[in-house]
Amino acid sequence: MRLQLLGRRALLLLPVGFVTLLLLLPLGFMVVVSFWKRSLLKLVPAFELSHYVDFLTGPRLTVLGRSFLIAIEATMICLVIAYPIAYYLARHARPSAARLVLLLFTIPFLVNYVIRAFSWTYLLGRTGAINNSLIKIGVVSGPVDWLLYSDFAVLVGMISSYMPFMIFPLWISIAGIDHRLGEASAMLGARPLTTFLHVTLPLSMPGVCAAIIFAFVGCFGESAVPIILGGVGYQLIGNEITSTLDVLNYPLAAAMSSIVTAAMLALLAIWYVAFDLRSFLGKILAWRLQ
Amino acid sequence: MSWRSGLVWSTIGAVLAGLYLPLVPPLFFSLMPETPAEPAPTLRWYLEMWRNPLLTGAVVTSVEAAVMVALVTPLLALLAAISIRELKMPRLILGLMLLPLLVPGVSTGLAAAFFFKQIGIAPSLGTIVVVQILWALPFALLVVLTAMSTFDPVLTEAAHMSGAGRWRAFRDIELPLIWPGASGAATFSFILSFNETTRTALVQGPLNTVQTYIWSTYKQIGLSPTLYALMTLLILLTVSLSAIAVALRRQ
Repeated sequence: MRLQLLGRRALLLLPVGFVTLLLLLPLGFMVVVSFWKRSLLKLVPAFELSHYVDFLTGPRLTVLGRSFLIAIEATMICLVIAYPIAYYLARHARPSAARLVLLLFTIPFLVNYVIRAFSWTYLLGRTGAINNSLIKIGVVSGPVDWLLYSDFAVLVGMISSYMPFMIFPLWISIAGIDHRLGEASAMLGARPLTTFLHVTLPLSMPGVCAAIIFAFVGCFGESAVPIILGGVGYQLIGNEITSTLDVLNYPLAAAMSSIVTAAMLALLAIWYVAFDLRSFLGKILAWRLQ
Repeated sequence: MSWRSGLVWSTIGAVLAGLYLPLVPPLFFSLMPETPAEPAPTLRWYLEMWRNPLLTGAVVTSVEAAVMVALVTPLLALLAAISIRELKMPRLILGLMLLPLLVPGVSTGLAAAFFFKQIGIAPSLGTIVVVQILWALPFALLVVLTAMSTFDPVLTEAAHMSGAGRWRAFRDIELPLIWPGASGAATFSFILSFNETTRTALVQGPLNTVQTYIWSTYKQIGLSPTLYALMTLLILLTVSLSAIAVALRRQ
């Protein structure tokens, strides 16, 4: 009996073991490698801070700053689009219609983002579909140049990659809010906007944070979109890491990657302390919250 | 329908149209002939791509990896969901399970590559499967959790009262009811695996999946009609698999 219980426990801990052994441990090891020395083609264990010094004093630091800025911009635009949609689906749409729309948002997310980025290069190009139709309807007289190989193009690529999936946590958390709270607020004389700002919005914050973190992490670590849509020489930290790998400077790549991961884990820690992780799952985990 | 909800629905429609727009151009380019003299549209690129052994090898690798990911991930997700329900520290377990979502893909891939190299595991199908399971696991877990939330624990109690043991109650009562969730998680994992690029590229070694093949071909020689044909097939596969998954859940 006791053996059976032990076996059961071991089985249940399998997923935890999987993630610990194959993600946490490797991430820790990557931090170790970032201090190693590079001699010819081999890596030699050492304690060198030079890679961090290289990174933090060189031009790559501005790349890190730019990545932060672009990721914040993209995340905010995503949120501004996704929140109203999630709100409407959770509050005003019929459940069957809401499910269908949520599904429609999932499908393009599942199609590889590299393929979608290639398509955007055509759509946004000088002779592409968007410029052609703008010229045809007479909005502009000549092709607009800044559509492609620009911050704008990178933002389009990022937003279309991550916005669809943000709708889910937002929808879950808004749908989980007790309707009676809003009604009570209305009965006490609050206008709809006041009710939204003081009741609905604060209560949906766990979902908002989940959505923000998901999109921000994706945008910040993005390595293919800046290459395809940013054009030659457009560097964000994601493709900076891969191009450092291409020149075989593994410790430097590990150092940059460690800094990026640390920043993301700091975000996660803030989220973890500020909210119960389960709360953004709302109704989904209701049975565990009782 | 009031003018207000009409406005909202047309906005949602416009956003969706923007998201589906990039799925169209590859189809057009894949039907273009090499020179304007040839008759358009042509299906020759769809035939030609199968003569490339690098690509057919990549297709095999992709399918093998996706099948394994689709088999293992739902199982892990199911175990994780049960452990969140039954073990202490559900917050910690959930946080750990969602972690792969919060580590940038480049970092996951790079860390795994260093780690495998250090412990002497050569890049192989196995290493590809591992990083893809890490990527699919959080999504699969969310799908399974959603399915489990509709399960009424009273049913398990009833099974216990009727003399069923823990395993029996789970197998005969709960599992059939959450099965649609598990199969949804499997389909989701398959699609996520099939479309993964960043992590896979860092641990694949001499192998190629379809996605990394597209990526490296683009970086080396640029886009070609054959590549567009391949992309079109991938888009069609993803869309139809999603539709099948939905149809299965409806039943």
